Amino acid sequence: MKFLCNDCQEVMEFVDNKASADGGSMAIEYCCPSCSRAISMVTNPGETQVVRSLGVTIGHEALGSAPPQPMAMIRDALAGQAPTTPAPTGPEPVWTEAALKRLSAAPSFVQGMVHRLYTDYARQHGYPEITPAIMNEAREKLGMMGM
Amino acid sequence: MSDPQETNHNPDVLGQVLAQRGRVATRLARLKSVIAVMSGKGGVGKSALTANLAAALAMQGRAVGVLDADLHGASAAAMLGARGQRIVVEAEGVRPAVGVADIRVMSMDLFLDDDNAAVNWRHPGGLAADTFVWRGAMEANALREFLSDTAWGELDYLLIDMPPGADRFETLLRLVPDLSGALVVTIPSQVSHLIVRRAISAARQAQARLLGLVENMAGLTPAEVTDELFRGRPGEAFAAEVALPYLGQVPFDPRLARTTDAGRPFVLEHADTTAGRAITALAKQLEALI
Repeated sequence: MKFLCNDCQEVMEFVDNKASADGGSMAIEYCCPSCSRAISMVTNPGETQVVRSLGVTIGHEALGSAPPQPMAMIRDALAGQAPTTPAPTGPEPVWTEAALKRLSAAPSFVQGMVHRLYTDYARQHGYPEITPAIMNEAREKLGMMGM
Repeated sequence: MSDPQETNHNPDVLGQVLAQRGRVATRLARLKSVIAVMSGKGGVGKSALTANLAAALAMQGRAVGVLDADLHGASAAAMLGARGQRIVVEAEGVRPAVGVADIRVMSMDLFLDDDNAAVNWRHPGGLAADTFVWRGAMEANALREFLSDTAWGELDYLLIDMPPGADRFETLLRLVPDLSGALVVTIPSQVSHLIVRRAISAARQAQARLLGLVENMAGLTPAEVTDELFRGRPGEAFAAEVALPYLGQVPFDPRLARTTDAGRPFVLEHADTTAGRAITALAKQLEALI
């Protein structure tokens, strides 16, 4: 959408947008580049929510807020439904020979997946090495029976 | 996230939307090929075929990811043995789940906390919550976030399992204008041909590159089961009618349904069967086409 300054026949330029205190409406300000006449388009709450659903920040939200997080819209809009786990931070655990032998008994096409799941589990729990006992524990906690 | 500051402090809504698309492009630049698997018709086996194609490509040593664009019918995580893995949020993006054959998976299924949970966007209140415009925008934005914020790493192939219908495919094309191509799936039924024909028209109007047509559930195997599932025109004739290369047919093998249900794509364990060979051949054709 664009606005035309009738006097100057110039397309007005976007200047700023401001959200109301309750976030229910938004004023989008435009200005004529020739005569500096300013106008504001005000949205109703329904229109404001449609804009928000684009995953953008509006008005005061856009200023000084924290950087956007990955998949912020999905995680926020599904709040309470989206289980997340913090990224594992510990050092990479060492796989013992016995654990590797057990891993090698799994079908080849699941080994990569199982390796990563056990490694993540060990890192999250601060285990420096992965043993068959740790694998048993992880299998039970993660519901990976048969792996 | 290529430049979060750019979006964060930009009060211009249009500027933010353009920056979002820039992030999609930056993320996808690390993927060699992005292929949509589409149909228009539901129930033709798109998701199972996508999972098996991904597995066949992985068996050929390719790094493969699957993006499940079917938000309300998400099944890729289950079919690739990746259900139950939690979403891990890292600085560089959301880490995809890893399924069988190291196939990376991003699906709405991973965001839902139990089997009964539906995709239920939190109501913003007011009139917007009841409008199809708002819901459509939320879902298009979810697809955009999947594309821009999944930390796939380096991939040879990202397969996108499209939902039934043509509208989401158009959304995908707006987000990924340089899509490597789309594979069209049908089954040998007149009803399917009718709906798939319309989806092909819509995709052509959107200037998508269509790689070819695959006829799924084309007869039954193993050989001792000889009845036909459908009695429509041959898929090859339909492909000629809609001016698409015919990439072959995949017969319905009951084991395919069972293994895919169990999270182990059929082709991994039954590559040397009629259906397994057909899927492997299809994967090779895809590689040749891209």
